[in-house]
Amino acid sequence: MRYVLTIKSENAPGTLYRIAGLLLRKKINIESLHVKEVDRKKHISHFTIEIFLAPHLMAKLIKQIDRVVEVFHAEYKRSA
Amino acid sequence: MEKISGAQALMKSLLREGVDTIFGYPGGAIMPVYDALYDYKDSIRHVLVRHEQGAAHAAEGYSRLAGKPGVCMVTSGPGATNLVTGIADAMCDSIPIVCITGQVTEAALGTDAFQEAPIIGIVTPVTKWCYQITNAAEIPHIVAKAFHIANAGRKGPVLIDITKNAQFELCEYDDSVQTVKLKSRHDPYYQKKLQRAAALLNNAKRPYVLFGHGISLSKAENELAQFLEKGGLPAASTLLGLSSLPKSHPLHMGMLGMHGNYGPNKLTNKADVILAIGMRFDDRVTGKISAYAPQAKIIHVDIDYAELDKVIPAEVAIHADAKEFLAQLTPLIKHKNHSAWIAEFRKFDAEEKKVVTEAELYPKAGEITMAEVVRLVSEKTKGKAVIVADVGQHQMVAARYYCFENPDSYITSGGLGTMGFALPASIGAKIAGPKREVIAIIGDGSFQMTLQELGTIMQEKLSVKIIILNNRHLGMVRQWQEMFFEERYSFVHMENPNFNKIADGYSIPNELVQERKDLSPALDRMLSAKGSYLLDIMVERDENVFPMIPSGAAVDEIRLK
Repeated sequence: MRYVLTIKSENAPGTLYRIAGLLLRKKINIESLHVKEVDRKKHISHFTIEIFLAPHLMAKLIKQIDRVVEVFHAEYKRSA
Repeated sequence: MEKISGAQALMKSLLREGVDTIFGYPGGAIMPVYDALYDYKDSIRHVLVRHEQGAAHAAEGYSRLAGKPGVCMVTSGPGATNLVTGIADAMCDSIPIVCITGQVTEAALGTDAFQEAPIIGIVTPVTKWCYQITNAAEIPHIVAKAFHIANAGRKGPVLIDITKNAQFELCEYDDSVQTVKLKSRHDPYYQKKLQRAAALLNNAKRPYVLFGHGISLSKAENELAQFLEKGGLPAASTLLGLSSLPKSHPLHMGMLGMHGNYGPNKLTNKADVILAIGMRFDDRVTGKISAYAPQAKIIHVDIDYAELDKVIPAEVAIHADAKEFLAQLTPLIKHKNHSAWIAEFRKFDAEEKKVVTEAELYPKAGEITMAEVVRLVSEKTKGKAVIVADVGQHQMVAARYYCFENPDSYITSGGLGTMGFALPASIGAKIAGPKREVIAIIGDGSFQMTLQELGTIMQEKLSVKIIILNNRHLGMVRQWQEMFFEERYSFVHMENPNFNKIADGYSIPNELVQERKDLSPALDRMLSAKGSYLLDIMVERDENVFPMIPSGAAVDEIRLK
């Protein structure tokens, strides 16, 4: 299944690396990636990541991303 | 405001966090900090380990008894990379440690400078959080944040990498309290779930409580006992939960998992309601997942919500601290007596005793068994010592046969299974709990992974008691080769050095025990010794640990032989 993850996080070095590490642990490839600062004052970044993943693994993965200290919020939806 | 160096700011920040002990090893890129430490010798005890891995394990052992983060400090490059095994170990077992590493100056980063290793890149996957400080002004806040993160929620290791220029640089140090706020999660259905959990347990015919390391980490031992006693509920423990309920407690059914007790594993697949608290359904506990308690309604309580529904789907998944949850659940639980159900556990106990336990604990002839050594240690210390076990057969035997009476009495490497853990961890444990009897039980293989820490024990004059259960083999691997690889014993025999001469070299009194008649008196001499003491005990070579759930089998397929 193709999914789009949207992640709101601190705009800090290493955040992408930590999230990518969680994907790598399960040998998940990144199909597309977009990162942009959305709030300069609060240093907040917004990630959009597309991946392929079996549906039963998606809910587990998003919780592991969401618990990362630098991440404020992570969610996913099925990609068209 | 007066300006101080980054290294001095680090010292002040550590003191503000209540740090009294650092396990460390100096080197080039951390020298300004060691220079500052020289002025704080009276308020911070620095323990010079013999290898950085030992610093990380010692910090873990310290944390387990002190109930606060352990601290280790090393230099850049190889100093930092040598910490990695200990950090990964702390990550697996949710042990709060704060690691401080020196780093080359900011200008030299990324140039392959002398002793440069990209430690942030290396440890990111095995830390809860890590951060590189390149500017002295960051130090007070980052240290406060590191300690907060290590100890909040699901505890774990954090690492702060400090470039050398940030250690030298002057900064203004603000002594006011640094507040750190992390996101918190509120479950709007928490009260409903609490009620539902209570109702399930109150209506259960065969309720069963599984508890893990979370009980000790949240200091919920009293709450657990009160809860179990009110509901008359049988309970079993994971490896790391073992000492959170006295083994002699009538509701403690024993240990779960691959080498756990017979009844607790068998009856996992007979219970109608299971409350799992502060445990994460590790594969060594569940065996074959598809055959794990399919009949039971499972209530899973964990402080890390990513653990909920990760391995075993829960009927009720509750994100909560074990202590708070139990305190709220107990008033909702009805007084009950499940004596017929508990009798089923006792029936399996009797079988285990007949087939396995009795012969191991009280052998009449042949070589010394690991089990009888642990039984004697348990009897002689009345179950009150802190047992620090390494990894392998001796770890399982210590877990099975030491009758833990007090909380925080079994320290071992659970999740990562790190051979070499016990000797350095016992150093940290003894420093955090100087009044407790700390006994390291170590296999001959494990001992040789970190035996240089005998030097630390010598230098710090620590009264750590060391028992080597010496079977001249990597026993656990040998057991698997015997059982599952057609007795093809591939590289499991060990030609060992004379451990007594090694102990002599470190001025640690020691004995070699080869015969049964010498065992008990030698243990007495070890326990009455004032300082450290080492016993090299020759045990049966081909001893296997049973019961056993073969890899990939279901919990109720546990074998007694």
